[in-house]
Amino acid sequence: MSSSSAARAIRLPPPCPHLAAYRSGGGGTPFRSLHRCLRPRPPSRAEVRRDPGEVPFCASCPPAAAHRGLRLYACLSCAAVSCHAHVSDHAALRPGHEIALDVDRAELFCAACRDQVYDPDFDAAVVIALTSLSCSRIPPPPPPPEKCAKRRRVEYRPWVPDPKGRAVIGRRSSPLLVQEGNASSASSTTTTANSTTTTTSSPSSSASSPSSLPRGLRGINNLGNTCFMNSVLQALLHTPLLRNYFLSDRHNRYVCQQKSKKKGGIKEKSNVVERKNPARESHVCLACDLDTMYAAVFSEDRKPFSPANFLYSWWQHASNLASYEQQDAHEFFISMLDGIHEKEQDQCKHQSHGNGDCCIAHKVFSGILRSDVTCTICGFTSTTYDPCVDISLDLDSSRDAVQIATSKLQTCESDTESMLTSQAYGISTLMGCLEHFTRPEKLGADQKFFCENCRARQESLKQMSIRKIPLVTCFHIKRFEHSLIRNMSRKVDRHLHFPFSLDMGPYLSSSILRARYGNRIFAFDGDDSDASTDLASEFELFAVLTHSGKLEGGHYITYLRLNNQWYKCDDAWVSHVSESIVRASQAYMLFYVQKILYYRASQHVFAS
Amino acid sequence: MRSSINRPPTPDANEEPEKEPTLQEIINIKLIESGEKEKLMELLRERLIECGWRDEMKAICRAYARKKGRNNVTVDDLIHVVTPKGRASVPDSVKAELLQRIRSFLTSAAI
Repeated sequence: MSSSSAARAIRLPPPCPHLAAYRSGGGGTPFRSLHRCLRPRPPSRAEVRRDPGEVPFCASCPPAAAHRGLRLYACLSCAAVSCHAHVSDHAALRPGHEIALDVDRAELFCAACRDQVYDPDFDAAVVIALTSLSCSRIPPPPPPPEKCAKRRRVEYRPWVPDPKGRAVIGRRSSPLLVQEGNASSASSTTTTANSTTTTTSSPSSSASSPSSLPRGLRGINNLGNTCFMNSVLQALLHTPLLRNYFLSDRHNRYVCQQKSKKKGGIKEKSNVVERKNPARESHVCLACDLDTMYAAVFSEDRKPFSPANFLYSWWQHASNLASYEQQDAHEFFISMLDGIHEKEQDQCKHQSHGNGDCCIAHKVFSGILRSDVTCTICGFTSTTYDPCVDISLDLDSSRDAVQIATSKLQTCESDTESMLTSQAYGISTLMGCLEHFTRPEKLGADQKFFCENCRARQESLKQMSIRKIPLVTCFHIKRFEHSLIRNMSRKVDRHLHFPFSLDMGPYLSSSILRARYGNRIFAFDGDDSDASTDLASEFELFAVLTHSGKLEGGHYITYLRLNNQWYKCDDAWVSHVSESIVRASQAYMLFYVQKILYYRASQHVFAS
Repeated sequence: MRSSINRPPTPDANEEPEKEPTLQEIINIKLIESGEKEKLMELLRERLIECGWRDEMKAICRAYARKKGRNNVTVDDLIHVVTPKGRASVPDSVKAELLQRIRSFLTSAAI
């Protein structure tokens, strides 16, 4: 699967003179009759056969020739089949018969130039023929409304302030980097209304000193095995869109409380009456408690914060998890998003979560996964779309990686790229896990899928892909395996290598679909070939949640990336750490945000 | 021009008579007729993808195309470059598995 973004912006190679001549000579007819002979060969090819059981062979090869049945080309003008050795002879003898079709791949070949050629109309015809074969006769459920995708298609242009703008910014802003300790080690980069000196920026040297921690870093006290909650909260407190939402007062806890009081007054009194604080008890809102927390954490106060109110509210929401026992951080994350959704969504109509219009939690985290199940016999594909708030990945097995290492020893010389070397040493990578997630998986013989086309249970292939990437993607690494023999689960401690910058392009539905019918030049479902999509699939890591210990008991720690520096948040203790420590940690949840929304470092915006 | 004019050339009447098919040919025909060849091809494809052989070949082709320049490479070039390396680097386990399958097919087909 090609992973370079250049491959996705398809540049059409100019047609060779023979192809151009063929097209201008009215080459439309063979393309149209071709669709009757196209047969999909899942997972990623399409072949051309006149009858289903036809075995083509080269007309010019003697019966015993070795390559009589290999790399065959069918002439588009007269349907004569030749092998790659004889195809040029056919073209030489008959002018106008240069263009042929690879019978096993349905790709165009010019026998005179002896090279593959590309024609968009041909590829379009092939794809349309194959998708109409593979699609259900029942209209599929409508994919999410296009206005969502169009909304994000605004071209991203970086903005730099002009001198007038700079002056305004200088007058009306205050630095985010709190300067503590020496006045000489300057970390603020903008002039404030109060200060008399303009300090120059030397960001990297001062940011590494522990005294100048950026705003928003504050330890969270452990209230009794609540490290699962603290670690997720630290990550959410620094999730760019969520942070901006709460810090710009979009959910005001006082307003929310007033609203619910009004609602409580209209409804009949509930039979559960608390003696202490009736107004407080009736208003349990996770978003309000989050609002309180954001205000507390981004204030000047550096003392560790105790999220007692939040814990209480969450216990009300997730009563089955309400105890002082250790819990799973991922479970808490899902439960929390659900809690925010519950409180935020009553003002608007109930919409599908994939839109993300219902609440801030879904706007930030929700995406859509596409699942295709393909019949291996006839190629018929059934597609479903499911909304998700995170992506759970299995650790890719390094067993296959070891086999490459041994086979490499056998080759005499190899110019393979270094991207394979990490696999050769058996290390799991996040990209490897994503590739494993989006691979075509053969469903077992006991899981035969009922194919509507064949009207029978057939063996099938399942393939997942990402239809809509969320603005903030949370990857959950499934670090547990269940052993059927011993009937117990255990934790998998294998190290996972993860990148700080991630391109999700190859795992999108558009890329997966493109690879399904071979090498085609064709715009696919939800595919944009303009630059804004390339940017929209690039992500930056901003938080890493790690787990140490066993399945039954362990400890969670969050690493946060602020201004390109890494900070370790271990309950109440927050400290600056180096990159290498983060890379060596055992990732359990990884938070990536779209690159265009990520402010890597604010220090370079103004050079004073 | 009517399409019937563009028919494939009719075979010569005085073509040499077909010789007795060799054992290799018989096996090949049996494999194809029973559909076993198709299954074996699919199995081979699956195994070669699983063990990373296909990705390795892709990387070799990419490196070659980069070296020669994107517009100076043809399909034939790539095949000439990749075929010897490809044949040499097929893992033994894959070869063994396919041989085993062919062997069991032959015993069951009772030639």
